[in-house]
Amino acid sequence: MSTYITKRILYMIVILFAASFLIFCLYALTPGDFITGNIKLTPERKAELREIYGLNKPVIERYAIWMKNAFHGDFGYSLSQQKPVLTLFNQYIWNSFLLAVVSTFLTWLIAVVVGVVAAYKQYSWFDTIVMVALFAAMSIPSFFIGLFLIKMLAVDWKWLPPGGMLTTGSNSTGMAYIKEVIHHMILPVMVMTLLGVGSLTRYFRSNMIDVIKQDYIRTARAKGLKERKVLFTHALRNALLPAITLVGFELPALFGGSLIIEKIFNWPGIGQLYMQSFSLRDYPLLMGFTLFIAILTVIGTLVSDILYHVADPRVRL
Amino acid sequence: MKKKIATLSTAILASALLLSACGNNNDNAGAANSAGANQPAPSNSANTAAPATDSDASGLVTASDMSKLPDIAKQRTDTIIVGLTDPSGAFTPYFQQSGYDGNVSSLLYTPLVKVDEKGLPIPGLAEKWDVSADNLTYTYHLRQGLKFSDGTPLTADDVAFTWTILYDKSYDGDSLVNSLHVQGGDAYKAGTATSISGIKVIDPQTVSVTLEKPNASALTLLGSDVLSKAYYGKDYKQGQLDYMKKLSGSPLGTGPYKLEKFIPGQEVRMIANENYFDGKPKTEHFIYKTAQGDTWQYLETGEVDYASFTATQENIDKLKALGFVNILPYTPSTYGYLQLNLKHPALQDKLVRQALTYGLDRQSIYVDAAQGAGQVANIPSSPISWSYTEDGINPYKYDAEKAKELLDQAGWKAGADGIREKDGKKLTVHFLGSKKPETDIFIAVAKEDYEALGIKFEPEVFADFNALVSKVEGGDYDMASFSTSLLTDPSDGLLQFVDGEIPGYDNPAFKALYDKGLATSNIDERKAVYKDIYKLLNDELPVIFTSYKKSVYAYNGRIQNLSVSPFNGLAPSLPSWTLSQ
Repeated sequence: MSTYITKRILYMIVILFAASFLIFCLYALTPGDFITGNIKLTPERKAELREIYGLNKPVIERYAIWMKNAFHGDFGYSLSQQKPVLTLFNQYIWNSFLLAVVSTFLTWLIAVVVGVVAAYKQYSWFDTIVMVALFAAMSIPSFFIGLFLIKMLAVDWKWLPPGGMLTTGSNSTGMAYIKEVIHHMILPVMVMTLLGVGSLTRYFRSNMIDVIKQDYIRTARAKGLKERKVLFTHALRNALLPAITLVGFELPALFGGSLIIEKIFNWPGIGQLYMQSFSLRDYPLLMGFTLFIAILTVIGTLVSDILYHVADPRVRL
Repeated sequence: MKKKIATLSTAILASALLLSACGNNNDNAGAANSAGANQPAPSNSANTAAPATDSDASGLVTASDMSKLPDIAKQRTDTIIVGLTDPSGAFTPYFQQSGYDGNVSSLLYTPLVKVDEKGLPIPGLAEKWDVSADNLTYTYHLRQGLKFSDGTPLTADDVAFTWTILYDKSYDGDSLVNSLHVQGGDAYKAGTATSISGIKVIDPQTVSVTLEKPNASALTLLGSDVLSKAYYGKDYKQGQLDYMKKLSGSPLGTGPYKLEKFIPGQEVRMIANENYFDGKPKTEHFIYKTAQGDTWQYLETGEVDYASFTATQENIDKLKALGFVNILPYTPSTYGYLQLNLKHPALQDKLVRQALTYGLDRQSIYVDAAQGAGQVANIPSSPISWSYTEDGINPYKYDAEKAKELLDQAGWKAGADGIREKDGKKLTVHFLGSKKPETDIFIAVAKEDYEALGIKFEPEVFADFNALVSKVEGGDYDMASFSTSLLTDPSDGLLQFVDGEIPGYDNPAFKALYDKGLATSNIDERKAVYKDIYKLLNDELPVIFTSYKKSVYAYNGRIQNLSVSPFNGLAPSLPSWTLSQ
C-alpha cells in the first residue's frame, strides 16, 4: 500500500509538470494578451508595458520564470486586480466552496434515496414519475431555470433575495449573518441541486437494479431476511461502491465554482473571477487557477482509488 | 496510469474548449466604463430618430407613482446604492487597470481641474490656472486649506509628487500623462535625473509644469487626481513602484467619499468625507454593489437606487411601468467606427471608402434595429462635446446608386458572377466583429447591402475582444468593428489617426491640423481647427464612422439633485444628492 502511494505521488508530480507546461502553452497560444485589449494605449506605450510585464520574452523563458516562482509559493500578481493571486483565491474560493458543498450534499442525498427507491419499485408509478422528472430537470438549461426562479420567487413574490450573498449594506454578525447567507443561498443551491440530481439519480438507480438482480440478494431473501435489511445492508452497500470513484472527481468541482450559477445569482465566487480574467487575459491568475484545479483533479483520483480499496478489499492497488 | 493521463488531459482540453466558447460578452474593461460617461441627450438633430417621450427639456421623465416603491428601498434613510459591474479593489487612480475601479476612485479623489458637461475645464482642487503665452507652461493655483480625507494638508508638493511618479520607468498604469513630453521627463525615466526639471513647486499653494511641445489636453490630463506624498511616497525609490500595489486597497484621497469597506465580489462601501473641500456630502453612506450583467432585477426589487440601460423603446417602456423611477436619457462621449485596412489596395482608394459608406444602411443598423438607442455618426467626436459640429459634414445618407457610381468611377466593374473586379482581383470585404447581438444585425444588413453593390462580404465573428484585436493587429482583415473609450478632449478621439493605430493612414495635412488643435488653449480657435479636421476626416474616411450609442439612467424617484456629467459620471453631483422621505 505505502509503496503504491509513493509511486502514485511520483507519477502525480510528473503529470503535474506536464499539465503545467500544457496549461502554459495553451495560454501562450491564445491570441491577445493583457495589453492588447486596452484600446486607450498607443502602440509605443503598449510595447513599454509588455517590457515591464515581461510579455515580450520567449514563451520558454516565461514558463521557466513562472515555474521558479511557483516553487517558492509565489503565483504572481493578478494584472487586472493588482493583488497576489493566492490572496484573490482566498477571497473568492470559499464562497464557491460553500455553495458547492451544500448543493453536492443535497444532490447526493436526494439521488441516493430517490434512486434506490425507484430501483426497488422499478416500473411502478413512482419510478415513472421520477424518470420523467429527471429527464425534465436534465434538459432545462441552467440560466433559464435560474432566471425563472428569480422572476417568480424574488421579483414577483418577494420571498427570497434575487442574488448576492448578503443584503447590501448589512452589518449583521454571528447568527444573523449566518441566517442572511442561508437566505441568499436558497435559490442558487436549489438550481444547482436540481441540475445535478438528474444524472446521479439515474446512476444510482441503474446500479441498484443491477445489484438487486444478483444471486446473493436472492439468497438473502430466501434466507428470510427482512426486506429492509436486504435492501439497505446488502444491496445498497454494493450499489454504492462504484460511486466512490465519483467522490474523487467531485473535489475539483467543489473549488472550481460554477460560472453560470454564480453569474446569474451574482454570487461572489471564483468561477466568475476566472471568466473575467480570461476575457482580460490576466495570465498569472488564469494559470494559477488552472494549475490549482489540475492539482485537485490528480489528488481527487488518488483519493478515490484509495477509498475504493478501503471500501472493497478485493480491489488490488 | 495511462488512463489517468488520459483523464487529466481530457479535463484540461475540455476546460480549454469551454473557455474558448465562453469568452464572449465581456467588454474590454478599459473601455467599458459603465457608469462613467453620461449626460442628457442632445437636441434632436437631422439624423436623430429618438422616440418622442413625455419628458421635460433635458429629457427627464419623472416617476409617476412613488407608492410602488419597494419597502426595502423605503427603509434606507442615509444610504444610496448603485450597481457597478466589477470593482476589483484597486482604488488608487493612475494604478488601476479597469474602468470599474475608476468609477470608485472618482468618488474617492477629486481632480485639480474638472470638466463641465461640454468637456470644458472648470475649477476642482485648483481654484484657477494660468497658461503661458507660448502655451508651454501651466501654473495651477490650489485652493486654501485643502485636506486629504485623513485630515492631513494637501500642498503643491503632493501634486509634483503625483506627476513625478507617472514618469517613473516602472510605472505600468494607463495614464496618458507620460506621453505629454514634460520637460525633463524623459531624463527622469531614463534614470539620468533625480527629479523632473519641468515641474516646479512655487509655493505650497502653487505648482507649475513646463512642456517641450504645446498640448492643449495637458491642462486636464495634468489637472487630474492628487496622491498624498506623505502616504504614497513614503517607500518610493526611483524605478520601484511595486509597493504601490500594497496600498491599492487602502486609498487616501480628497473626494466627497472615503472608503469604508471593500467586500470582494459584493460591495464597495463608502462614507461621507468630512474633510471634503466643498463640504461634507448630504447622504452619509454610498455603496457600489457588484452586479454582473443584468441589474434590472435589483432596480425592480429596490436593492439598487440607480442603474443604466440601453435606450431602446422596450427598456424605456419597462422602466416607465415601474412607476417609482425617474428616467434620464444620455449619450456617452464615445463614437463607434469600422476600422478599414488601408494597407489593402482596394481600400486605399478614397472613392471605394466613400462607396462603402454610402452603400451601408447605417440608419437601419444603428438606429432602427436598436429601437432608437443610437444616432448615426459621421465625425470622430460625440454630439455632447464642445467641438461637435454638423456644419459642412456629409451625412452619407444611404444611397446605393451613389455607391455604385463611385465604384464604377474607381474602376471596379461587375464581373461574370456579379462581383466587381479590377485588374483581375475581386472586390471582397473581410469583416471582423466580436460576438454580440449588434454584430449579428450588422452582418445581416451589411451582407445584403454590399452584395447588392457587387461586393463580396465575408464576416468573421470572434468570441472575445482580445482575440479580435490580435487578429486585427495581424493585419488579416478589411473591416473591423470598434468603439472608442471615453473621450474627454476632442484630441482624444483623433489620437488613433496619428499614432499608427490605423495602419496605412498617413496624411501630412491632417497631422498639421492635429498639432494646430493642440497648440492653443483658446477654445474658439480650437473649435475652428476641429471643424476643419472633422470636415477632412469626413471626406477622407480613413475609418467609416458608425454610431453614437444612447442610454438611459433610471433612478429611484426619492433621489433629489441628481445630474450626471458625461465626463465625470456621478462624482460632481453626488455630494448634493439627498433622499426625500
